[in-house]
Amino acid sequence: MTEAVVVENLVKNYPTAKAVDGISFTISAGEIFGLLGPNGAGKTTTIRILLTLIKPTSGKVSVLGVDALAHPGRVRQMAGYVPQDVSVDGEITCYENILIYAKLYGMRGDQRKKRIEEVLEYLGLQDRANSMVNTFSGGMMRRLELAQSLVNRPKMLFLDEPSIGLDPNARTAIWELVKKLRAEFGTTILLTTHDMAEADSLCDRIGIMDRGRLAVIGNPSELKCAVGGDVLTINSEAPGLPAAVRELGYSTIGSSNGSIELLCANGESVIPRLLENLRAKGVETASVSLKKPTLDDVFLKYTGARIGEGGSWKQARRTRRTFRRLTR
Amino acid sequence: MKLRRYLSSVFVIAELELRKIRHDQSQIWLRVIQPALWLTVFGVTFSAIRSIPTGQYTYLQFMTPGILAQSVIFVAVFYGVVVVWERDMGLLNKLLSTPTPQSAIVIGKALAAGVRGLFQAAAIVVLALIMKVDLILTPLSILGVFVIILLCGMCFSSMSIALASVLRNRERMMGIGQAIMMPLFFASNAIYPISIMPGWLRVIAVGNPLSYVVDATRSLLVTGDLSSLGVDMLVICLTTAALVSLASLGFRKILS
Repeated sequence: MTEAVVVENLVKNYPTAKAVDGISFTISAGEIFGLLGPNGAGKTTTIRILLTLIKPTSGKVSVLGVDALAHPGRVRQMAGYVPQDVSVDGEITCYENILIYAKLYGMRGDQRKKRIEEVLEYLGLQDRANSMVNTFSGGMMRRLELAQSLVNRPKMLFLDEPSIGLDPNARTAIWELVKKLRAEFGTTILLTTHDMAEADSLCDRIGIMDRGRLAVIGNPSELKCAVGGDVLTINSEAPGLPAAVRELGYSTIGSSNGSIELLCANGESVIPRLLENLRAKGVETASVSLKKPTLDDVFLKYTGARIGEGGSWKQARRTRRTFRRLTR
Repeated sequence: MKLRRYLSSVFVIAELELRKIRHDQSQIWLRVIQPALWLTVFGVTFSAIRSIPTGQYTYLQFMTPGILAQSVIFVAVFYGVVVVWERDMGLLNKLLSTPTPQSAIVIGKALAAGVRGLFQAAAIVVLALIMKVDLILTPLSILGVFVIILLCGMCFSSMSIALASVLRNRERMMGIGQAIMMPLFFASNAIYPISIMPGWLRVIAVGNPLSYVVDATRSLLVTGDLSSLGVDMLVICLTTAALVSLASLGFRKILS
C-alpha cells in the first residue's frame, strides 16, 4: 500500500455555507502533506472528516486503506490527532494527560507504562512528568499534545495548525520534531497551516485551499517556479542601464529612475555574469537585490488574494483564546 | 471483549474527572457550603416556626434527604456548562478522535458527576449528624443512598449534557440551568410534603424525577418504610437510562 490517504470529490455542506466543495487528493505513505490556506478555507473541516469526527455530505475517503465512512473506529485506532486548540487538561499532571489517552487507546499494564515513558522521553518531557500542566509553557503543551497522540504509535498523524500561537523557538522545535517523526518512524503526516514558512519548511507537497476548493497541489519549489522565477533589482546611477540590460537579452519588467527589475531563473547564478557584462558595457552598478518567489506569491496567483485575508469572527476569537491560554 | 473495552472507556473518562478533583479538592468543599447553609439557616429557622407538617419526624429529619438531593442536582444541572467549555477548549474533539464511543464519553462524564455528588452527600450527612439529626444509618441504608445519589447525579447531568448539545453555548446553559433548577427543587417533596401543595403543583411534583430521589432517600434514612422504594428505584433507573441515551444520541451535535 503506497497511498495513505485517498480523498475523492469530498463535499461538506453546512446549512449556511459550503465548507468543502468537491476536493480530491491523495497522500503517499510516509509523506508530509500540507493543506495551506486562510482561516475558513475548509482545512479543519477536511481534517475532521478524515478523522471521522464529522460526516461528509458526499464523497469518498479512505485512510490507510480503510474506508473511513464505513469503519470510523478502525481509522481512529490508527490515527493520531493534534487539534488546533489547546487540548491538554491543565488540571491534571503531564503524566496523567498521557495516561488517560493510553488507556482510551486500549493499552494495558507494562506495555502502557513503557510506551508512556518512551513518549515522555522522546518529547523531552520526562523531567516534568509529574508537574501540573497549567504550569507549562505553550511549547511544552504542544509537545505534550504530540505525546498524547504518539503514545498509540499512529501510522497517520493529523496536525491542525501545529505551530499556531507559539513563539519562534518553540515553533522551530515543533518543526524539527515533525521531521524527526517521519524520518524515524515513516509516519504519514497531514497538517494544515496558514503559515507560508511552515508549509515551505515542512511539507513534501502542499495543496492550496481556498473557499472549500483545492486551487493547486504540488511541491513547494515547483509551485514557486511556476509563478515565474526570481526578480532581480539593479540600482545604478549610470544613464545607459536600461538599454544595456535589454541589449544583454534579459526581460525587464519595470524600470524607474536609477533602478530596473528583471525576471530570470536561478537569480543567484545570474548575478555575477550580469554584473561582469554590464561593467564591460561601461555601466557601474551600485547594488543588486534578489527576490525569490514565496508561497505567498503562489497563493496570490492561484486564488487571486493574499493569505491572511478572510476568516470569521469566530475563528479570530478561537485563535486569540488559544493564544491567551498559551501565554497565560 | 467489546463490552469490556466499552466499560473500561467509561471508567477512564470518569477517572479523568476524579483525578482533577484529587488535585483540587477545594471545589468539593466550596460546593458543600450552599447545601450546608440550607440545612443550618433555612432548616433551623423552619424547624422553629413549625409551619410545615412533617408528621412524627422533625423538620430537619424531613429536609435532610431533600438537601442531599439538592446538593447533587445543583451541580449536575450545570454539568453541561463544563461540557460546552471542554468543547470550546478543543478537549472534546480530541477525545472523540480516539476509538472511545460517544455514549461511553457521556456515561463516563455522568458517572463522574454522580461521584462528585457522593462526596458532597457524605459531607452533608456528617453535618446532619453533627446537628444531631436522627438518621437511620445501617450498611444497607448507606449503600442504598450511595446508589441513589450516584444515579441522581448521572440522571441530571445527562439531562444537562443533552441540553448542551441543543443550546451549545455557555451563556444559554447558565440561563437554562437557573430556569430548571428552581422548579426542579421547589416543585418536589424536597423541603415540604407534596400533600400541602395545590392540585396543579402536585401533578408537577409527581412527574418530577427529583421527588422519587428524595422519597427513596427519605425512606432509607428517615422513615425506614421501604414500601415505595421499588417504584422510586424503577422511576429513577428508567429516567436515568432515558436521559443518558438522549444525551449520547445528541452528543456529536455539540461539536458543530
